Amino acid sequence: MSGLDLRTRESALKGGGRGPALVPGNSGASLLWKAAAHDGDLKMPPGKAKLSADEIAKLREWIDSGAPWDSHRAASGPAWWSFGRVVRPAVPQVRGESWVRNPIDAFILAGLESKGLAPSPPASRETLARRVYFDLHGLPPSPEEMKAFLADTSPDAYEKLVDSLLASPRYGERWGRHWLDVARYADTGGYETDILYAHAWRYRDYVIQSFNEDKPYDVFIREQVAADEIWPDNLDLNGSYDLPKDKQISIQRRIGTGLYTVFPIAVEYTFFGDQYRAEWQAEAVETTASAFLGLTFSCARCHDHKFDPITQKDYYRFAALFAGSEDREMPIVSQMGVYEYTRHMARLVEADQLKAHLRKLEGGKRGKRELTPAEKDQRETLLRKIGEAYYQAPVMYAKANVLAHSEIIPDSHILLRGDYTQKGEKVTPGFPAALAPGPEIDEPTQGPFVPQRRKALAEWLTSPENGLPMRVMVNRMWQWHIGQGLVRSGNDFGRQGDRPTHPELLEWLTAEFAARGYSIKAMHRLIMLSNTYRQSSAGDESKAKADPENQLVWRMNRRRLEAEEIRDSVLASSGKLNLKVGGAPVSIPLTEEERAGMRDFSQWPVHPDSEEHNRRSVYLMVKRSFRLPMFESFDQPDSATSCARRESSTVAPQALMLMNSSFMTGHAAAIAARIRREHPEPSAWVDAGTRLLFGRAATPSEKERASQYLKGGRLEDLCLVWLNTNEFLYVD
Amino acid sequence: MSIEHSRRLFLTRTGLGFGWVAAADLLSRASAAQVANPLAPKAPHWPATAKSVISLFMHGGPSHIDTFDPKPALERLHGKLVPESFGDVQLQFSKFREVPVLASQRKFARYGQSGLEISDVFPHTALHADKLAVIRSCYHDGFTHTAALNLLNNGWPRLGRPSVGSWVTYGLGSESENLPAFVVMLDGGIKSGPVVYSSGFLPAVYQGTVLRSGPSPILHLQPPPGRTPSSQREMLDLVQWYNQRHLESRSGDSDLSARIAAYELAFKMQAAAPELSDLSRETEATRKLYGMDEDATKDFGAKCLMARRLVERGVRYVQLWSGSTTGGGDWDGHAQCDKGLQSMARKIDKPVAGLLADLASRGLLDSTLVIWGGEFGRTPTSDGSLNGGGDSMGRDHNPYGFTIWMAGGGVRGGKVIGATDEIGLRAIEDPVHVHDLHATMLALLGVNHEKLTFPFQGRDFRLTDVHGKLDLVKKLKA
Repeated sequence: MSGLDLRTRESALKGGGRGPALVPGNSGASLLWKAAAHDGDLKMPPGKAKLSADEIAKLREWIDSGAPWDSHRAASGPAWWSFGRVVRPAVPQVRGESWVRNPIDAFILAGLESKGLAPSPPASRETLARRVYFDLHGLPPSPEEMKAFLADTSPDAYEKLVDSLLASPRYGERWGRHWLDVARYADTGGYETDILYAHAWRYRDYVIQSFNEDKPYDVFIREQVAADEIWPDNLDLNGSYDLPKDKQISIQRRIGTGLYTVFPIAVEYTFFGDQYRAEWQAEAVETTASAFLGLTFSCARCHDHKFDPITQKDYYRFAALFAGSEDREMPIVSQMGVYEYTRHMARLVEADQLKAHLRKLEGGKRGKRELTPAEKDQRETLLRKIGEAYYQAPVMYAKANVLAHSEIIPDSHILLRGDYTQKGEKVTPGFPAALAPGPEIDEPTQGPFVPQRRKALAEWLTSPENGLPMRVMVNRMWQWHIGQGLVRSGNDFGRQGDRPTHPELLEWLTAEFAARGYSIKAMHRLIMLSNTYRQSSAGDESKAKADPENQLVWRMNRRRLEAEEIRDSVLASSGKLNLKVGGAPVSIPLTEEERAGMRDFSQWPVHPDSEEHNRRSVYLMVKRSFRLPMFESFDQPDSATSCARRESSTVAPQALMLMNSSFMTGHAAAIAARIRREHPEPSAWVDAGTRLLFGRAATPSEKERASQYLKGGRLEDLCLVWLNTNEFLYVD
Repeated sequence: MSIEHSRRLFLTRTGLGFGWVAAADLLSRASAAQVANPLAPKAPHWPATAKSVISLFMHGGPSHIDTFDPKPALERLHGKLVPESFGDVQLQFSKFREVPVLASQRKFARYGQSGLEISDVFPHTALHADKLAVIRSCYHDGFTHTAALNLLNNGWPRLGRPSVGSWVTYGLGSESENLPAFVVMLDGGIKSGPVVYSSGFLPAVYQGTVLRSGPSPILHLQPPPGRTPSSQREMLDLVQWYNQRHLESRSGDSDLSARIAAYELAFKMQAAAPELSDLSRETEATRKLYGMDEDATKDFGAKCLMARRLVERGVRYVQLWSGSTTGGGDWDGHAQCDKGLQSMARKIDKPVAGLLADLASRGLLDSTLVIWGGEFGRTPTSDGSLNGGGDSMGRDHNPYGFTIWMAGGGVRGGKVIGATDEIGLRAIEDPVHVHDLHATMLALLGVNHEKLTFPFQGRDFRLTDVHGKLDLVKKLKA
């Protein structure tokens, strides 16, 4: 069979000197089968034993089934549970009907009953209120808020509380942060250069705002993946002072594509265009797969995926969806705004001069030396002035980093072993065959030219045929509310991931999500109003024996506060929390020991306005090469890849930080001052502090023990003690 | 012993004040498992020859051809272009085919019974030649600092992977009950940032703890001014009093118990760390041995002495950095490479020699693996011109062939393993990739690198990815 190449389906169909080797669907007419079966003159393999009957039968079966190849191969495999359409299951019948407040409870109770277990009693109203505040706002209820809720005896008091919390801007700051974990958000690129993404925060604010306005999740996907292709707009700047409304909407949508501009990257002199594009596309594929599909594609960059039906070709077809797309810095003001931007250089020049002074003071590159106290002061002054100069430099007119297209869309190839210099077969954009079928990608050949690749991706991700993305999001919401996903591995719905503990509940919730117009707030209400959510988190020895990991949700999961919640709660308790919304990220002051390890201190320009240091944590600078020590120690993700679920570790340095850091001691003192101010009578302090920090009244024994402590100790220290207790750090 | 039992035991010991006794009991080996102490010592896969590691990291990339890998051919080629036969390589700043060869200005001599060749830049270390196994054939393909630093320290050129020290403590746990298991001593900023000692996707409990010099060696170790040990103890007792009551109505929650234990550990650290970092307890002779009496060497000397004190106290993995982005210089000799090398080498030579001598005399070297090296070596070519001006006479990054040495921990010294080509550009004999180095290091610690895995994003990850050869182990031990 001279000239025959069996490496690709195309070449096998073309065949060699003897004609086509393969006739899909007809093994009898296929030379390949005939040769293997020794049916005719050609007998394969030459000079060796014939294949076994079983092998020959398999070959025949494969040809008769249409000879699926490569990406087509996977289509013949069994469909995986998470890939297909969502089919709404029936709500199960349960014996304990009276416990069922909404269908969620029926699914959960059915699981419990099958194991002979009963749900836990409801949490107390105080516990429930604290749970709901942390869940939706990442902040504790103030004593007044707690009091108002407890005083509201109307039957729908709890529903009203949930609704009012969902309506507050604090909600988006908390739930937006969840999404920012998934989006591996940061304000810098990481690595040695750690370049500043000066406009990244607009994407962060876009996310927060999207949650606050209850943007339907399908729209949220479409905007992030392909706003520019779905709602094309040349975004010409307007000559007047104000941008027209439709322009503003276009801009807002397009900022969603910022998802693909806040990626980790080592910007080096040696980076070639091809290499950069290959890295960017790989990152875009990985983020899309993890964030929206709950799958890992990155294995297939170098070889066919070992566990999931994703071939290397699938990978590069998927990557081709991003070919020709690129990051663009776009003005988002009117032409007048651009015009008014003048004279900003002076402050930047000043900053450079100050930096030169600083270098000189520190003794240059080779001469690190001990600074005198006066010189140390001088250094701090210089660092502060550099920061101020940067902050006060008239800000360049507003810009955002969004996705746009290059003038020419380059061809896409399989890259052998993922190496950008080794181009293999050329591929067209498309979707993994084993997942849901994707739309045709019909690209216009003449102007105005708007590529349609990411638009097709967005359609595919939000198509009813493709149940995966919505299952993944519903599971995320469940996990963020309940503490554990129905699928434990939130970013892995593939074969290596966990199977759902309640497959029908996941299906039902996903169907409900669609029925409710993909409203995330509607899902919050649904989940939070269930009796499942309202259960107590108290343990139970016999139930724990039957289900130690609480897979059946026989109780609510207790959880430690996340890094940002701890900081925000301390600030809220001291009354210092600055609730300003949005804007450029803030660098807060760090002590000398806290900033050790940072590559370049001038990359951390501390905000000159100390009020800004008390902003909510979601607005602080997220630097990929340097995480805030407090956040790092409390498991804030590292923004290197999409994070589905945070760790909750317990380490000794956390205790040192909470007991000794100037942040904690300073705010403990502020809390003490607040208590003294609000309660001049010392006998009220213990109860007031307990209400402020634990959201409940002090017990008699606590009053006794704490008052005894206060005889010799200070109120400041008692406040710090409270901030260090498990009761403050955990939510029941 | 069940969780419940340990909890009761815990509570019965508390009485009026929650003292050290209860915590010591809680954290003892027997009960550690009950609070699921992730740092409890774990049995190795294989018999180990090393119990701890001291990594001496020369940040910036020290020149191998001016230190441990003499290349006389360079003198002949000095000022000329590299002969065609060496082909081309990609470098960070210079174009390999267009820049002249730069001969070494160092003098090499043979040391010890083994006659190991070492340059005059390390006169003190050279006296321990018979302890060193010099691997001249290390290589990888990350020619930028970040990629190379991450490869050496995380086994992967990009972000997001756990560091070597994290993997080691994840695999073996800690032998110390009042100090962190993985300790890092910095010289200043790191080019790729703290990722080089981060725990990546492993739980934060495995991340490196930065130990500083001075009275507060661990971040936030020092209570604020005015708080006495006894008032601190009182506060802690009150925290634990609240925590116990909180736990009583939440029985069996191992997270809560673990946090109670973590507080006790924190304060054991608070008590132990000042003693640890109080180097004045060492004899004058010891301090001198480490060069603590000289300005140039007192800084790194103190770090080396601290490293010995740490492994003495059961700390598993200690990493010392030489070279900083925030003052004091580093090993990145793009300009005036030889001058920079001399200044950096002077700071570490005596301290490193002191460390080797001190570990040996205390019988600690047998169980402590000392590793010296940077993220890559340097090119035989000049980074620019040879005219002697301020920015000339430099060497570019060379990841294609460079030197790392090991001592102790079951490694037999006084030998050279592998070789680079005639000009020191590429590893050509017994090449050792970074993955092989990591696999080897784990093997000396008794860990099978293929079995040390952690599930993340749908697959089991390991330090050595899908690589790692072990033939180096035999050569090191032979």
